[in-house]
Amino acid sequence: MKRLSLALRFLSRDARHGELTLLTLALIIAVTSSTAISLFADRLHRTMNLQAAEFLAADLVISSSAQVPQAWLDKSTQMGLKQATTAELSTVLIENDELLLVGLKAVSEAYPLRGHLSTMANPDAQERVQQQGPVAGSVWVDKRVLSALKLSIGDSITVGEKALRLTQIISYEPDKRGDIYSLSPRVMMSNIDLPATNVLQPGSHVHYFFQFSGDAAAVKRFNGWVKPLLVVSQRLMDVHDDRPEIGNALSRAERYLGLSSILVILIAGVAIAMSSRRYSERHFNSTAVLRCLGCQQHDILFIFLYQFLILGLLACSVGLLLGWASQEVLFHLLRSLLPATVSQPSLIAVLLGFLTGFAILLGFSLPPLLRLKRVSPLRVLRRELAPLNNSAGLVYGLAVLLIAGLIFQYTQDLKLMLSIIGGGLLALVLAAALLYAILLQSRRLLPRLGLSWRLGLQNVLREPKASVTQILAFSITLLAMLLSFSVRNDLLSDWQQQLPAQAPNYFAINIFPNQVDSFSQQLQQQQVPAANFYPIVRGRLVEINGTAVQQVVSKDSQGERATHRDLSLTWGNHLPAANKTLAGQWGSAKKGEVSIESKLANSLKVTLGDQLTFSIGSEQIQVRVSHIRSVQWDTMQPNFYMLFSEKTLVGYPTTYITSFYLADERKKLLNDLVRQFPAMTVLEVDAMLKQIKMILGQLTAAINYLLYFALLAGFSVLFSAIYSTLDQRIADGALMRTLGANRQLLRRAHLVEFSMIGLMSGFIAVFMYQLILFALYNYVLHLDFHFNILLSLVVPLLSAICVMLAGLWGVRSAVNKPPMLVLRDH
Amino acid sequence: MSKNSRPIIETKNLEKTVTVADGDLTILSAVNLTINPGESIAIVGASGSGKSTLLGLLAGLDSPTSGSIKLNGEELTALDEDGRAEVRNKLVGFVFQSFQLMPYFTALENVALPLELRGDKHATKTAIALLQRVGLGHRLDHTPMKLSGGEQQRVALARAFVSQPAILFADEPTGNLDSKTGEQIIELLFELNQEQNTTLVLVTHDTALASRCQRSVHIDAGRLV
Repeated sequence: MKRLSLALRFLSRDARHGELTLLTLALIIAVTSSTAISLFADRLHRTMNLQAAEFLAADLVISSSAQVPQAWLDKSTQMGLKQATTAELSTVLIENDELLLVGLKAVSEAYPLRGHLSTMANPDAQERVQQQGPVAGSVWVDKRVLSALKLSIGDSITVGEKALRLTQIISYEPDKRGDIYSLSPRVMMSNIDLPATNVLQPGSHVHYFFQFSGDAAAVKRFNGWVKPLLVVSQRLMDVHDDRPEIGNALSRAERYLGLSSILVILIAGVAIAMSSRRYSERHFNSTAVLRCLGCQQHDILFIFLYQFLILGLLACSVGLLLGWASQEVLFHLLRSLLPATVSQPSLIAVLLGFLTGFAILLGFSLPPLLRLKRVSPLRVLRRELAPLNNSAGLVYGLAVLLIAGLIFQYTQDLKLMLSIIGGGLLALVLAAALLYAILLQSRRLLPRLGLSWRLGLQNVLREPKASVTQILAFSITLLAMLLSFSVRNDLLSDWQQQLPAQAPNYFAINIFPNQVDSFSQQLQQQQVPAANFYPIVRGRLVEINGTAVQQVVSKDSQGERATHRDLSLTWGNHLPAANKTLAGQWGSAKKGEVSIESKLANSLKVTLGDQLTFSIGSEQIQVRVSHIRSVQWDTMQPNFYMLFSEKTLVGYPTTYITSFYLADERKKLLNDLVRQFPAMTVLEVDAMLKQIKMILGQLTAAINYLLYFALLAGFSVLFSAIYSTLDQRIADGALMRTLGANRQLLRRAHLVEFSMIGLMSGFIAVFMYQLILFALYNYVLHLDFHFNILLSLVVPLLSAICVMLAGLWGVRSAVNKPPMLVLRDH
Repeated sequence: MSKNSRPIIETKNLEKTVTVADGDLTILSAVNLTINPGESIAIVGASGSGKSTLLGLLAGLDSPTSGSIKLNGEELTALDEDGRAEVRNKLVGFVFQSFQLMPYFTALENVALPLELRGDKHATKTAIALLQRVGLGHRLDHTPMKLSGGEQQRVALARAFVSQPAILFADEPTGNLDSKTGEQIIELLFELNQEQNTTLVLVTHDTALASRCQRSVHIDAGRLV
């Protein structure tokens, strides 16, 4: 009780004198950002779990690239299950001379088995719940379709060869998936009308979902019965599946957001560590007096711990409220990638935010507090007696442990956590060592500099370790912001710029063998430059040398992604343009041979002579690898992982693909083509890029939003560093002025000091940024890297100006305090 | 110095009050003091008598509530803080009880500082000479932390005399030193003072030290007695 009341008295005095303001602010920033992410992630997970059944629109779904045998459906009915079917494909609609790629979904009468649809009778009408999809002869569309095709409710709309009446605007669809194809505007129709549209032909890219619902026991029985019958291109999804079909983009975003928030915590943590160090040092004297008066070591520790716990309670509560508001903003920024209704967060997530706050506070402030315990009572007589420093292991170990725990919590991936911690520590240590060496070397410059420059530089050099921490904290913040800002714009536009001027901007897929000649003639007549026509058979790689492919591939590798889906298999005895032989020979390949793209071959550890087994429809074929080639992926020509020798794939359903270039002013030509070849799908590259940009835009907006917290945290580091030396600065300033220095000289020295800190942070950030970009362009994207000189100058300059202004403001009292102070300090 | 020459320090009706919780508190009142060039004068008084406040006002470190202070004929109260800084740099040297060295500067940098503030191109050379004069020629690159108390005060003396000031203000210069070191410092102070014919204003409560000055003024409760 005695300790608590002493702690409270200390706290109120210190709070009144602003001793704890920065520490509190840094803690609030850290808690706000960690709570925002913890609430965001929790709500996302709960939404996914609660709505799992609704996401499937059923209890059990078989997804398949072809119809399933009628016997399966009969069996489900026999077992007492309800059954519905949907078919999804991409197709192009043309109305009023406007063209639009849409996600067509044909649904059976019983759809949806779980959840509901929502529609509006006109754009301004109330939303209405619908238990069924559109009836035969009618069609429902996304609002976007109306504006894009200049249509209104009641108009007729032609899908393939069938005219349908537009009756409703669809506003909610339970099983809308988060992938990029589902982001095309929806057009929903009855599957009774599907055959008449003629958009479906053998070999078309279509995805079927056979949905079942009923009582749990029956669903389980059917699940057990049907599972052994599935072929590789079919997948069973039930409500126990992990996060069914949630967009990859969203789960990645969650990871990035988590990591960004750790960045905020790390930077704020530095500020907390700095301000608690100053706090502790300023309390050495009063602690020595307390010790003299008979306080024991653990009394001292508790008096200060209580203060920090009370402070933590207040700061965490404020941070919690702000974090709540911030995650609402996050949901708003990501709204179009998320389901319409989102669950409320759980109490545990709120508690987690709170606990994280305390962990941050203690992790970063405990070491300086522990020093107070060791203050010697003898200090009342000998002021220079400072308590022993903490071991570096304690100071850094606690912080690293805390950060590692947080990273693991967000990524749930031990390997990733270790590599981030390892790589991050290594990079930090290297950068710190380099910076430290530069600072020490720059001492040599001192004798050659003018007075204000010398004073400024001396201020940076007087505590090189603190300066290094400050500069690194700023450069990491800047680096993160640079990376995040540039991902959205630079990467995509650089890639577009590097394409040849007349690179194909349209892909035509689903061209049937009997249409190839007439389609090609059409293009020639219209003088449209087109690539070759490549035949495509859809098939999946299932075995390598007799071993199931899933046992060979490593998780998250290119090989895994390529074997989890049907590939477009092509054939021909000539290599496509921009393909280069790396091993083997192709020109005279015999039946039963295949050429594989080199990176995929690496990932699958496939070499010449290996036997590959492909599953095509219900059949399997075996081929021998006789050729490995490199492919230039960014040519906008059709490219393939697997190129088979002639005659190997004869007899399987085949479609053709080509790409062509059509100038914007000739877009109308597409209308004729699509009318003439209704089953063909034209993919507009520009539109796809725009969509990717839109998604990236939302993701980066969300990440940038968190980085503003990082910037705030960065400034809290700057001010903590300033305040930790402010007493000394005020004393120095007063002494300098006693000796005759005017305020202008002191200001100039501060200006030099803070501009240098800002400038160095900016240069380090830009340097690391260009390094990362260089690696990214050269090794991942295979683009030409251009050094951005303008950016390399502008960022350090802006950083210098910002840090200088903030710094001048922070130390203004050191310039303005009267010099009389020098007579009064003892 | 002839008695008719202009006084180097002259105050008239100097008064300093500060506002505290229960009203105004008078620290100095009606201080009239004239000090001639080359004179050495001790300001003596008990703790809290106002002697340090008077020193601060005379040196232009603080402004009076009313009254006038002339330093070498220049009215300090008419100047702003930067103007007073310029006067200090031209005319005044300081020695403090707590040395007041810049902690991150070397001995040489500390001593050269007043000359550099003046824009003197030979600052380093002059500073080295003076450090040698006070017996610290071998400690030029040491920072204050690496010097003993006596050595620090020698650096402070060198800094005070390096700019050949017309007036030297010394505030309890031996207060933080043991008696033997203190005596050595005082010897050095008076030696340098004589060499440069500096006006010395010394604040102390040590009557023995005060007796070494040509004249003593006593201050009690803010008034000269």
